[in-house]
Amino acid sequence: MSAAAEGFAAEEVVVRGDSLLRRAWRTLRRDRLAVISFAVIALYVAVTLLGYAGLLPDMQERVGEKYEPPSLSFAKLLGTDIFGRSILYKILAGAKTAMTIGFIVTGISLPIGIGLGALAGYYGGRVDAFVVWLYSVISSVPSILLIVGISYVLEKGITAICIALGVVSWIGLCRLIRGEVIKHRNREYVLAVRLLGAGDVTIIFRHILPNVFHLAIVTASLSILSAIKSEVILTFLGVGIQDGSSWGTMITDATGELVSGIWWPLAGVSGAMFLIMYALNVAGDALRDALDPKLID
Amino acid sequence: MGAYVIRRLLQMIPIVIGVAALVFVLFTSVGEDPARVALGQHATPEALAELRAEWGLDQPLWKQFLDFLVQIVSFDYGRSFNTGEKLMEKFQQGALVSLSLTVFPFLLGTLTNIAIGLLIAYFRGSWLDRISTALFVGSMSISYLVYIIAFQYLLAYEAGLFPINGYESGWSGLQYLFLPWIIIIVVSAGPDIRIYRTVFLDETKADYVRTAFAKGASESAVIFRHILKNALIPILTHVVISIPFLILGAFLMERFFSIPGVGDIMINAINTGDFPILKGLTVLIAIAYTVFNLVTDLLYAWVDPRVQLS
Amino acid sequence: MRRTSIDPRTTLGILLGLLGALTVLAGCGGEEPATPGNGKKIFTDARRSAHKSLDPPRQFDGASAEIIMNVYDTLVEYDYLARPYRLAPGLLESMPEKGPDGRSYTFRLKQGVRFHDDDCFEGGVGRELTADDAIYSIKRFADANVNLKSWVLLAGFVTGLDEFREKTRELGKGVDYDTLEVPGLRKLDDYSFEVEFTRENPLALFPFAMTSMAILPREAVEKYGEDFASHPVGTGPFRIKQFSFRGTMILEKNPNYHGTYPSEGAPGDAEAGLLAAAGQRLPFLDEVHMPLIEEPQPAMLKFKKGELDWIGIDKDNFPNMAYQDEEGRFHLKEEFAEKYHHYAAPRLTAEYFSFNLQDPLVGPNRALRQAIAYAVDTPAFIELILNGRALPLQTIVPQPIAGSERDTGFQYYRRDPEMARKKLAEAGYPNGEGLPELVFEYRAATKDARQGFEFIRNELAEVGIRAKASFNTFSAFLKKLESSNFQIASAGWQADYPDAENFFQLVYGPNRTPGPNSSTFSNEEFDALYERTRYMENGPERFALFAEMAQIMKDEVPLLLRFNSIAFGIYQKDVLNMKRHMLIDKPYKFLDKKAEAMPAAEAPAP
Repeated sequence: MSAAAEGFAAEEVVVRGDSLLRRAWRTLRRDRLAVISFAVIALYVAVTLLGYAGLLPDMQERVGEKYEPPSLSFAKLLGTDIFGRSILYKILAGAKTAMTIGFIVTGISLPIGIGLGALAGYYGGRVDAFVVWLYSVISSVPSILLIVGISYVLEKGITAICIALGVVSWIGLCRLIRGEVIKHRNREYVLAVRLLGAGDVTIIFRHILPNVFHLAIVTASLSILSAIKSEVILTFLGVGIQDGSSWGTMITDATGELVSGIWWPLAGVSGAMFLIMYALNVAGDALRDALDPKLID
Repeated sequence: MGAYVIRRLLQMIPIVIGVAALVFVLFTSVGEDPARVALGQHATPEALAELRAEWGLDQPLWKQFLDFLVQIVSFDYGRSFNTGEKLMEKFQQGALVSLSLTVFPFLLGTLTNIAIGLLIAYFRGSWLDRISTALFVGSMSISYLVYIIAFQYLLAYEAGLFPINGYESGWSGLQYLFLPWIIIIVVSAGPDIRIYRTVFLDETKADYVRTAFAKGASESAVIFRHILKNALIPILTHVVISIPFLILGAFLMERFFSIPGVGDIMINAINTGDFPILKGLTVLIAIAYTVFNLVTDLLYAWVDPRVQLS
Repeated sequence: MRRTSIDPRTTLGILLGLLGALTVLAGCGGEEPATPGNGKKIFTDARRSAHKSLDPPRQFDGASAEIIMNVYDTLVEYDYLARPYRLAPGLLESMPEKGPDGRSYTFRLKQGVRFHDDDCFEGGVGRELTADDAIYSIKRFADANVNLKSWVLLAGFVTGLDEFREKTRELGKGVDYDTLEVPGLRKLDDYSFEVEFTRENPLALFPFAMTSMAILPREAVEKYGEDFASHPVGTGPFRIKQFSFRGTMILEKNPNYHGTYPSEGAPGDAEAGLLAAAGQRLPFLDEVHMPLIEEPQPAMLKFKKGELDWIGIDKDNFPNMAYQDEEGRFHLKEEFAEKYHHYAAPRLTAEYFSFNLQDPLVGPNRALRQAIAYAVDTPAFIELILNGRALPLQTIVPQPIAGSERDTGFQYYRRDPEMARKKLAEAGYPNGEGLPELVFEYRAATKDARQGFEFIRNELAEVGIRAKASFNTFSAFLKKLESSNFQIASAGWQADYPDAENFFQLVYGPNRTPGPNSSTFSNEEFDALYERTRYMENGPERFALFAEMAQIMKDEVPLLLRFNSIAFGIYQKDVLNMKRHMLIDKPYKFLDKKAEAMPAAEAPAP
């Protein structure tokens, strides 16, 4: 494929952006596992929204005796904890926390990563040197140290965790976008648009970014995933969320209880984590395939 | 080439200064207060002031920062607040221990994971791919702690295959490392294989693959001659960049297996506000990280002559 | 590019080879290190955290003290068997004798006590301990350039010592102590000296039992300088054979040790076999191995394998291994009782909620504080959260200390939701209406803190009080207490010495923040009572006054008293002379192990 043809193909994508989405949708619909995965993600999002609407059952409610194993009543489906609270309700509350963290972290890291990556790649020179310096500094500090440090500055709690994770997680995407933008910067289609008098902003946002946007989507699905996992480790270190409504606290507690033969809290929360992580994985893969302009025949 | 390396090494200076400033701000001004932690229930204002003066924490911040920069240049980070140990000695010993914990499983794990990643990518979309993805994601959903506790209990305690924990230097100490190694390999399999699988899949979509097939190349030829070779760059990036962090070891492993490495030293330093350790360790790792970054770039040029070092 | 291509077969070969190697090596890993028996008595006990310094006046943490108390000696020490806790002579021939002025004590050293052999002495042979060493060590304890952590416990006690400390501060590091006389420290001869205290004070001798006041030789300090912290030279029962911060510390027997096993015990000790070694020369163990194991889980597995001799049971393992009967006594489950001995002994700690009386909400509202006190069910908390391993506090004084409720018969609040609601209404918040959410501060972000608060939150919610918690880092917590920037704090106190005064001072007016009285309670009547009892000998008169003080604390609720925790531990059956002493955390010098059973081959033929 010649460079000119490639440029043409890319141009076509930009002009008829809706057809890309339509095509992506068609590809996705064919993949049954992907559809199920999206349904699972939608379910978790729904739980999150219900949580914010105050419609989830109260996780503090004591539904039974302490440490009841799972049984066939809705609240005790996954057993109870040391206070007789429902593990299921706690998992739902934790899902809300996890999804919130996942989305906010991605919401922070995506614009920063794309913005800085595009700027650095497009302008080069001093801007590029600064952005590269910034991410080199951040990525050469062990991220655990950085996150713990930031959470000291911001006090504990969900905001601190989101910001701390957001601050460290834009780097991968920024590198990626920067590399892609450098590649695209001197392609014929960009040069052509520039000759037609388009400004830098137009070129970056209307012409270059749409061609690298699929990378961002895939990275986002993975970033949600790693944010959820990080929360668990942070809680072990004592800087996570403390009020018991997070998977991190549940796992930390349950690991000790495992020694006394109380397996259900851990099984429940690990299962909930597995479901969403698997769904995000499959969905990320499917999106990658569906959105990659290279794969459009 | 030589000029390139020198220029890259010079670029380390602003990066290390940036790292120093970041760590300094995060920990000296807001982290645990080492004097309070050390004094506990007897933290009277006089005692706090005396202890801070002893540690130089009563100096103005800019002076503390300058002293820190001097330490970086002279490679002498002084002594730990808490134990009075000379830090460079402590780091050297600890780093060797951590490396003995992490390097072997890293090498073995990377090789196996690449192989499995390639295998799964080859069978993409099949039931093998889906089941193994489920398996690896499943392994990632289980907390690190659970692996440690379960393996320690089952393999070391119940089955008696390994000592429960401990550390010795030299060959006789090897017996203590097997179980941590196994756990590290098992735990790293999930995330690593996922990455390698993606890397290989990305390559299968590249134009040259289509071209190669169009030219009538056989499947195995495409995989081994083209895909594996081209995937080397992202793989190298992933692998080489991970190396500096191997020094940090795996702090949970070190805690549960009583391995006196750097990771545990760092976590304890965070909890007690032992700034000299935090500052020293971070800067050393940052230096290692930038050096390995340079190594990656040099390797790129070696792997792919089209890459020009400029 | 050919040079970089990887031959898949080679890769596979390498992989298989490595896997094979791993399997083979793993097989070898099963062999336990041969038990270094050869007749030596070795006691293995894990350290939970790494020590900070083995220079006595420079340390003030448990992990350092555990080692120092076995390598160094103090002038006086706690009696191993006597309960309630009391002092006994350590390096002294007998307890110091009080002079006619009531303020001066004569300290007479044992003769023939030698320091450990070390290169810092002439010819490498430990020299004899003299009164000069004792005076040197006390001065060094007071040196402002050396002791930055524990001075406060002797401050104001000895005539002229505070002035000495100021001098050392002015003169800076490396002061020659000989040039600075302390009027309160007088050498009488090579083996005796006199200490003059600023006033008559029955508590005056306690600081001399702290590990920070261990007696050390000047030569070692001068020879090793900063490295003295990792190169201890003492007179203690053990010396360091293998030094390690994060690995295994090994102590070996000091064959010339001067101490003997106590010949009198508390009631019941003789029956428990604790007096079998009465009067014998210490120590009995040849070596003590102290590996660092920070996590409870591997430590317990090692104990069960017989690789550790002694362990405290953590919360997660407790329900598996032990239980509490209806009378509150602890037992090991049968399978463990066959293999191990256990003990349960109350610690010298008090846990409480401190109300900040400067706080606009809880400070001026006594009825609100009382409502909270009625709402909380401490016995239920102990049972659920602590597996029963604590005693509810009735007064601020924990049970093992003279003057506790055992002597005063005092009773604290019991949970009473009716009364709580009544008091809440009296406080101006009927059924909690209009009461803002209360904020509890915790000193750590651990599972225990989290679950503990969850329990309290629920109890308060039942009477209509809403609460939330803030889990701080330890230093942030102390900072909040110090600056009175909190509402309710989950705090605690660990005895510095076994006297009730050490606990009542927590609410003594003049000790207000930044002192230990973090609730800033100040009550003239209480303060007057405290001052009267402060220097009084224990007895019915003092205890009666304690009851009055306890009543004021109950009425005013500056602190909501909670519990005194119980140490529960197990040890292997061949360990002898174990009696948990809260002020001698690691009593290795008293411990012994049963001699190993004779190998069958050497058994006499029938």
